[in-house]
Amino acid sequence: MSDAAINQSKRGARAVILKSIRDQLAESALRDAASGKEKVEQTGVVLSNEGSSIAVDTVQANGQKNNLERSLVRPFREQLEAVGGHCLVVSGQVEAARALNSIIAELQTTPLPTQRIALSDAPLVERLMRETGVKVDEITTSPSAPDLFGYDIGLTAAQAAIAETGTLVLESDYERHRLVSLLPPVHIAVIDAADICPTLGDALRRVRRRGPMEMSRAITFVTGPSRTADIELTLTIGVHGPRELYVIVNEGPPLTTD
Amino acid sequence: MSHLDHPTTETFDANARAALTDMQLRGALRNATSLFGKRRLEASQSLDNWEELRSQARAIKDETLLHLDRYLEEFTANAERAGAQVHWARDAAEANGIVCGLARERSAHLVVKSKSMATEEIHLNAALEAEGIVAIETDLGEYIVQLAGETPSHIIAPAIHKTKGQIAALFTDKLGIAPTEDVAMLTSTARRVLRAKFAAADIGVSGVNFGVAETGTILILENEGNIRLTTSLPKTHIAVMGIEKVVPRFADLEVFLKLLPRSGTGQHLTAYQSLITGTKRHADDEGPDELHLILLDNGRSRMLGHAITRQSLACIRCGACLNACPVYQQIGGHAYGSVYPGPIGAVITPQLFGMAKAAQLPYASSLCGACREVCPVKIDIPELLLHLRAEITEGAEQSRQEAGGSRQGEAAIKRRRLERIAFKLWAAVMIRPWLYERSGRLFRVLQRFVVRGGKIGKVEGLLARVAPPLAAWTTARDLRPIERRTFREQWRDKPVD
Amino acid sequence: MTTVLNRQSEIGNRQSTMRVGLFVTCIVDQMWSAIGTSTVEVLRRAGCTVEFDERQTCCGQPAFNTGYRSEARRVAERFIELCEDSKAEAIVSPSGSCTAMVHHYIALFPDDEQWRRRARSVAARTFELSWFLVRVLKIDDVGARFSGRVTWHDACHGLRDLNVHSEPRRLIRRVREAEFVEVENADACCGFGGTFSVKYPEISAAILDQKIEAIERSRVDAVVAGDASCLMQIGGRLSRIGSKVQVMHLAELLAAT
Repeated sequence: MSDAAINQSKRGARAVILKSIRDQLAESALRDAASGKEKVEQTGVVLSNEGSSIAVDTVQANGQKNNLERSLVRPFREQLEAVGGHCLVVSGQVEAARALNSIIAELQTTPLPTQRIALSDAPLVERLMRETGVKVDEITTSPSAPDLFGYDIGLTAAQAAIAETGTLVLESDYERHRLVSLLPPVHIAVIDAADICPTLGDALRRVRRRGPMEMSRAITFVTGPSRTADIELTLTIGVHGPRELYVIVNEGPPLTTD
Repeated sequence: MSHLDHPTTETFDANARAALTDMQLRGALRNATSLFGKRRLEASQSLDNWEELRSQARAIKDETLLHLDRYLEEFTANAERAGAQVHWARDAAEANGIVCGLARERSAHLVVKSKSMATEEIHLNAALEAEGIVAIETDLGEYIVQLAGETPSHIIAPAIHKTKGQIAALFTDKLGIAPTEDVAMLTSTARRVLRAKFAAADIGVSGVNFGVAETGTILILENEGNIRLTTSLPKTHIAVMGIEKVVPRFADLEVFLKLLPRSGTGQHLTAYQSLITGTKRHADDEGPDELHLILLDNGRSRMLGHAITRQSLACIRCGACLNACPVYQQIGGHAYGSVYPGPIGAVITPQLFGMAKAAQLPYASSLCGACREVCPVKIDIPELLLHLRAEITEGAEQSRQEAGGSRQGEAAIKRRRLERIAFKLWAAVMIRPWLYERSGRLFRVLQRFVVRGGKIGKVEGLLARVAPPLAAWTTARDLRPIERRTFREQWRDKPVD
Repeated sequence: MTTVLNRQSEIGNRQSTMRVGLFVTCIVDQMWSAIGTSTVEVLRRAGCTVEFDERQTCCGQPAFNTGYRSEARRVAERFIELCEDSKAEAIVSPSGSCTAMVHHYIALFPDDEQWRRRARSVAARTFELSWFLVRVLKIDDVGARFSGRVTWHDACHGLRDLNVHSEPRRLIRRVREAEFVEVENADACCGFGGTFSVKYPEISAAILDQKIEAIERSRVDAVVAGDASCLMQIGGRLSRIGSKVQVMHLAELLAAT
């Protein structure tokens, strides 16, 4: 089929489908009017860019702000742990590095290999890795896709998190996260407590904050390790994605330099 | 399915009977549906505004469907602006043609697929295979079902009908691994095998849970990670999306993210959500070079024509109605002979694929309403079933043409004709009280042929042929006879109050 | 489906005699008259005068559920006319499914506003028995006595279309000497579903057997329900398997002394 013919057919299908929709809706409107049904009201879910139900963005006394952050850390941790993720809460870069070290050390006591670590391109990740001074065979930033299959641990940041579900929010405009957080069997993420939103709705507003056309092209929500129950309903962790998820939550001065 | 190779909707009654003799299947169904049901209930109770969310979700869907053309155009414009290529497909053949065309142009040999009801509906894998293109299912349950040469039996848990033992034997047979019933081992085998496919695939095909008109974003939910791999590794991503999947605003996703995982598996949220808008901004970013969205009609627009049928399109494919349905709990998904089984299947299968062929499905329900209770978007499935039953009886002649003279089709037409006569007679009697009473007395006399020891036991032989419903009832149940003195006869004898 | 249940309590709280029209239903009339006579007895004990219009036959459910709407409509029109003719303040039926059918009548007149209005107004004064006793007359003790272990089966239409759930349980709990046992999955369908029971008898029996299993495990003396059709289904199977468990309609239980 020539390109012109293909295009003609494409436009044809679109027009036919839209016409079918319009015709059917018109027919239905007549019928509904005759039977005296109420018209369905048009609802508008009000989209506010002003922030969440809990005013995280309002600049108030430092203490109050910190209290709020801390109060989101606890539910985030509970939710994450409920789905089999691990959560370490630290304060500042030094403690974060120590936490990272302890995770790797702990992993080294398991059968899981730990010698090849892939880093995302978020600046804090490389800084943190250097600070740990850990000795492994290989540490590479943003390995290529085919290479990533052979890595043991993927280390990323996250641009936001959700307290009510224990979810990490990763945005492609800010970090090259898609494969490094997916292919290696272990995913370690480092986040600032200040980036934890209370609810799903808040997170959706947040990723859309610069406007509907300026959202990251790939946004990934991660809640715990990969799982399935497809074989006789037996829960198995670690199917195609990572089998372990560690999240280091930093309550100290933000590690992300935005 | 042990007895029938390819159950169709036309042989539903035979399919169901066969399924009922499969005790292992029934045990598996019992466990699965009761577990899912329990988890769904607990998850719904974890939110104190569950009912409000259901109403909100339904309102969003209603609004969308009433302006579906507008929202689809908005979705298309925004998706295209972000670099996606949007195709429209009137039917399955057209959709398959588009996918195969894209594959051919790119000299694709291997396609990895993630779980998508829409692609099952159009039989995409078969179309690709006819072109010599290998399509591998990557969702564990779908992969198992594909290896076995079967079809999925449940919307959420496709391999629910298979035991560990059966899956182990399958893997040994097809993948050559040492026999093991260790679920972790079986899973990691699948992971290993499929990873090679992900790495080598030319094209990734997925479905779409929700398409956002306001931003041109598609949202896909999963637990395993195969959707993320399918949609980020291969150079080309093709997403097949039913036209009813669009929602107006990005913020609308929140309600559905709260309802869908809880209704489907009892989780508060699935492990991964991918929100994909168009293609990558920069050539050296991660992800596919191309995104092709195929908007699929295939009979959906027709459902918009009536308020009652329009609600069918609100379905978010959670599977909760399957787990709650007493019929599905006993016979499982294959017996329906359709990609869409269970209560929602019974109402959309006839509408998508033709009333005549699927005329049995709307009758395969006791109208108990359990489905309506658990549906996150409040689809009134019993109302729909009753509506379809009325359509089926009224459209008898039209169905004759559609049925195309098949043996089952002809038999069904004849049955329906007799049934119509019976109900016409019934109505004529019921509006005449004197005739109603006379008929009652007549049956009271006739029943002497079958009443033994104060009840009616199994009716067989010639009597069964004269009164098939009587035979059907008494196969497994006794029947109370008509009483020697009816209530109204007794009332007449007593003094009026 | 819109029900007009919220109008039921308008009739309200009276101690004086209420005039009730009995809608006995065709199954009870022909095959289970004891349910009818028990219903009359219970309503009288509750202080009502009971009328019975002999011109009544059927609510039309079998035709409606099987898809024969014009046939169902003819029967429904007849029923509506009879109700309009009746001077009773309330029409009471010992059947959740038949009452639900009456509440569904609006669906039979999609393009006739007059008939819709008439259907709505008849539905507003038609009640299922337990709902009528507890919600309208506001009584839960009708002087019943029954010695034995009983359990309740929630018939689907009564439960899901009419919201009948706590009312029968309240009434049963006031029956002297009766021990009420709640069975797991009391709200599971019995598998009757009208013509479904004979169109798909094997599926119907499979659903039924799951119900029977739970009942037998509970070791009750009787299963009580508010719908004769469910009782026929459950009782028919119990009888076939030679079980000692009896089936009883709520009216029969409440009339017992």
